[in-house]
Amino acid sequence: MNNSAIRNWLGFSTLALMLASLFMVFDWVPPDAEMGIAQLIFYFHVPLAWVAFASFGLVAIAGIFYLWLGDQLWDDLGYAAAETGMVFCTLMIVTGSIWAKPIWGTWWTWDSRLTMTFILWLMYGGYLMLRASADDTPEVARFGAVIGIVAALDVPIVIASVRLWRTIHPAVLVTKQGGHGLEDPRMIWTLMVALTAFTALWAWFLMLRFAQLRARSRMGALEIKIALASAAATDAK
Amino acid sequence: MSGFAAVLRKDLRLELRSGESTLALLGLSMLVLVVLVFAFGAARARSFDAAAGALWVAMVFAGMLGANRALLAERDNAAIRGLLLSPLEPATLYAAKLAAAFIFMAVAETGAVVLMVLFFNLDFDASIARLAPVLVLGAIGFSALATLLSAITGRTRGGDMLLPILAVPIFVPALIAGVKASAAALAGAPLASMADWLKIMIAFDVLFVTAGYLLFEHVVGGD
Repeated sequence: MNNSAIRNWLGFSTLALMLASLFMVFDWVPPDAEMGIAQLIFYFHVPLAWVAFASFGLVAIAGIFYLWLGDQLWDDLGYAAAETGMVFCTLMIVTGSIWAKPIWGTWWTWDSRLTMTFILWLMYGGYLMLRASADDTPEVARFGAVIGIVAALDVPIVIASVRLWRTIHPAVLVTKQGGHGLEDPRMIWTLMVALTAFTALWAWFLMLRFAQLRARSRMGALEIKIALASAAATDAK
Repeated sequence: MSGFAAVLRKDLRLELRSGESTLALLGLSMLVLVVLVFAFGAARARSFDAAAGALWVAMVFAGMLGANRALLAERDNAAIRGLLLSPLEPATLYAAKLAAAFIFMAVAETGAVVLMVLFFNLDFDASIARLAPVLVLGAIGFSALATLLSAITGRTRGGDMLLPILAVPIFVPALIAGVKASAAALAGAPLASMADWLKIMIAFDVLFVTAGYLLFEHVVGGD
């Protein structure tokens, strides 16, 4: 099965899964007894969170492979993962904020998880700004790989420090339940389907973007070959 | 003389001759502290949290300036090529640049601490001595990170703007830990009580000195 066939299959699967999870969220699963309808955002927010962090990990892994193997393919993958991850991270923050307002009464708080997410978002932004501010040379690809690796290495320390920061200060608001204590089995099913749907969506976006970047890299390499070949041809004359 | 010592001596000697980096760092630290005194208002003076926070803000900004300058010297006449063509390993070059950045930052921090005591109505007593290890750990971590990152940002168009954007989010854990530990130190707490914060700072330092040492060869290059 070639790549575009995989992408199409993935696209249709995503559509089906998304429709299924929309139905399950809005028509099937019972809303949380305490938080009411607003809690339903949870089924979008948690998958977005998982995907945002996973994408970031992929940026770092692609960076390691790029520095090790030197194949442009890894840089294209890392860059695609960074762009896709940024989108999902932003959505995660926005959905979290929308959820927070009715439940906590505030759009934002420096709870440890929110702080960590915001730092992640800033790291994504830094990577993308770096890539945007320079041409796509192998050297800049190396820069991106290093930033991706360094930022990912930092994530565990950020989590530890932010948790410590927040446990010492009394929490102003009750920390959200975040998915534990799902009493009704329908909630678990809905979460699983939504998780799969968003992972499929992420994978699909990633493949599309990756294919674009690959095409661009290959074209660049071809252009160089053509230029060299024609230079050699004119030399030979 | 080892390559490390040679590069470090060169950077220090350049700085001793002109002194412009040191003056700039001290000046910037002072101005940042002044701005924060006005920002927090005189009523907050004598607050250990505000003093510690202001000190760290000054340190971070001075640190970024210092890191930029540590590699700036090499950009004149593409001197970096000379360094790269020499038998000097990139990792050793990183260590030397890190040491130079650390020394510049330490000098700036000393000045900043003096100013902090004066501006925030604190005392020159044992709490300042307890502050020292926290600031040393912070300076090591920040110098390690900024030396690695400034090798990248110096070669891209975004340059000066990009260094804070990349450095600050990554530096957050050491920043949180540093501010908390500094405030505790100023308030008279013994070092043992800050053990958790210090552990985080030590972990950060170890991680980033190692990462910088291993990754520097991928980011340094001729212009």
